[in-house]
Amino acid sequence: MANVTVINTDRITGTINRNIYGHFSEHLGRCIYEGIWVGEDSDIPNTKGIRNDVLGALRKMNLPVLRWPGGCFADEYHWKDGIGPRETRKRMINTHWGGVVENNHFGTHEFLQLCELLGCEPYINGNVGSGTVQEMQEWVEYMTFDGESPMANERAANGREEPWKVSYFGVGNENWGCGGNMRPEYYADLYRRFQTYVRNYGDNRIYRIACGASDFDYNWTEVLMRDAARYMDGLTLHYYTITHNWQHKGSATEFEASEWFETLRKSLVMDELITKHSTIMDKYDPQKRINLIVDEWGTWHDVEPGTNPGFLYQQNTMRDALVAAATLHIFHNHCDRVRMANIAQTVNVLQSVVLTEGAKMTLTPTYHVFDMFQVHHDAEALDTRHESADYTVGGASIPQTSVSASRGKDGQIHVSMCNLSHDEPASIKLELRGLSANQLRQGLQLSGTLLQGSALNAHNTVDEPEQVAPSELTAIEQNTDGTIAVTLPPASVAVLRVG
Amino acid sequence: MSANANAAAVVAAQPKKREGCKGCSASVHADEEQLQRILAKLALHPGDCVPDAQYAARLALCSECPSLQYGTTCSHCGCFVRVRAKLAAKSCPHPKGSRWP
Repeated sequence: MANVTVINTDRITGTINRNIYGHFSEHLGRCIYEGIWVGEDSDIPNTKGIRNDVLGALRKMNLPVLRWPGGCFADEYHWKDGIGPRETRKRMINTHWGGVVENNHFGTHEFLQLCELLGCEPYINGNVGSGTVQEMQEWVEYMTFDGESPMANERAANGREEPWKVSYFGVGNENWGCGGNMRPEYYADLYRRFQTYVRNYGDNRIYRIACGASDFDYNWTEVLMRDAARYMDGLTLHYYTITHNWQHKGSATEFEASEWFETLRKSLVMDELITKHSTIMDKYDPQKRINLIVDEWGTWHDVEPGTNPGFLYQQNTMRDALVAAATLHIFHNHCDRVRMANIAQTVNVLQSVVLTEGAKMTLTPTYHVFDMFQVHHDAEALDTRHESADYTVGGASIPQTSVSASRGKDGQIHVSMCNLSHDEPASIKLELRGLSANQLRQGLQLSGTLLQGSALNAHNTVDEPEQVAPSELTAIEQNTDGTIAVTLPPASVAVLRVG
Repeated sequence: MSANANAAAVVAAQPKKREGCKGCSASVHADEEQLQRILAKLALHPGDCVPDAQYAARLALCSECPSLQYGTTCSHCGCFVRVRAKLAAKSCPHPKGSRWP
């Protein structure tokens, strides 16, 4: 079968919420400390303690929303340890992450300042596992109360008179596991109780997010929707792509073609997960008021050899770029229910977009996918029917190609495509229907960007940061019947601009 | 019942191990055995390693560096310093520039 795509440009299936391109930053390894926060006295150029190179990279890709402080760390985080003069903040042990010393220098003020510098929305994850209702209530009051109150006064005393806008608040994290080992019935009741005190102060309206399921735990979603749907705006889903298993995940850079295939096959499971969790949500919320928020996703490989295993530092190759592109397409296809997703994690941990080493920094292949795909932010998803050739390895098959199309607010149509095959190019025939007479009269201006590596495991390091970088997509042809033929090299990602 | 079916029944009877609790297994405190295992692999590639005297000089500087965490790990790159210092192609990642000879 060939790769054939029909795009009905006059049929809109929804809006691709920019927050689908969100990120997750946990106090883990070198994500926050060294990766984002170096402190004002650092030799690394910084703005109020946040390193300038990382700030610039994240700004360029228009990072829309950032989740913090965890993850597992969230359910052991006591926010009052992270405010006030830094030199007097409590030093503690981050027991969830292997006994790392946490000096609490990056706290509420620093995170919300980071979001202001990035121009992104904050998504704060509160502590249900080891925290109290009062603690959560006071945190929201501290950040958002506009007026005279004990917490607002303390915020002002710590240098911030004006309240912040806090858009998203998660009530607990992985409460089926590190967040308290709860049964769904118990968490559902706790969620109802805790969220009651996540108040709206002034004109700040908080979007309340309940802890959802880990991958295939459909009962968790069923119980949460049955018992607590009316109290939530969003319900989460966590799913990581692991080539083998949790005990032996596999190398990030040294892999066989069969492991390339298996990783991509497992990443495509995201579609099944979203479909099945959404079906349960539809039963209780047919109007789709509640969003499914995939606030932890991405590849999880063995740590880089010679690095501290507790830091979860992994490299990032074209394989990860393909996982990112194919997964983002899945989110696009489910944009009626999935309106936020946060890849784990922003810097130096798991499938990061940025890697640092001392004062050096590099962008990963995954970064380039997020950067190229930002044309889809808040764009209208176009009705797309894609038939893919099979990609078969060892008797198993997955689609060789994946395609998604959208129209931006400026009217520009973009078609993103990926070729998952490790060794076969893919010719994709695109048929755009429903274009205006004016567009057809003027003829289509076609241009594009391509991301490919010189090898399947091509990746960037701080000393060789340009091994994988976008280039111009040149293999574009307009056929006499009006269709467009794009040829993608093996293991590549492209975005076509149709002007 | 066949031997294989019997084995399958035994597996099925065991409580299913819950996966995905990723935090519990991570530790930043490496033991000597773990480090020796990595160093033994490096020893198989002497051409990639610095001479012993240079290795010792590098480690001496690391041991006095405030960026050394948990006695094993460089905060700037996340590497075990005893591994990184062995490698000829690597330099010290200190933000002010390499301090190694």
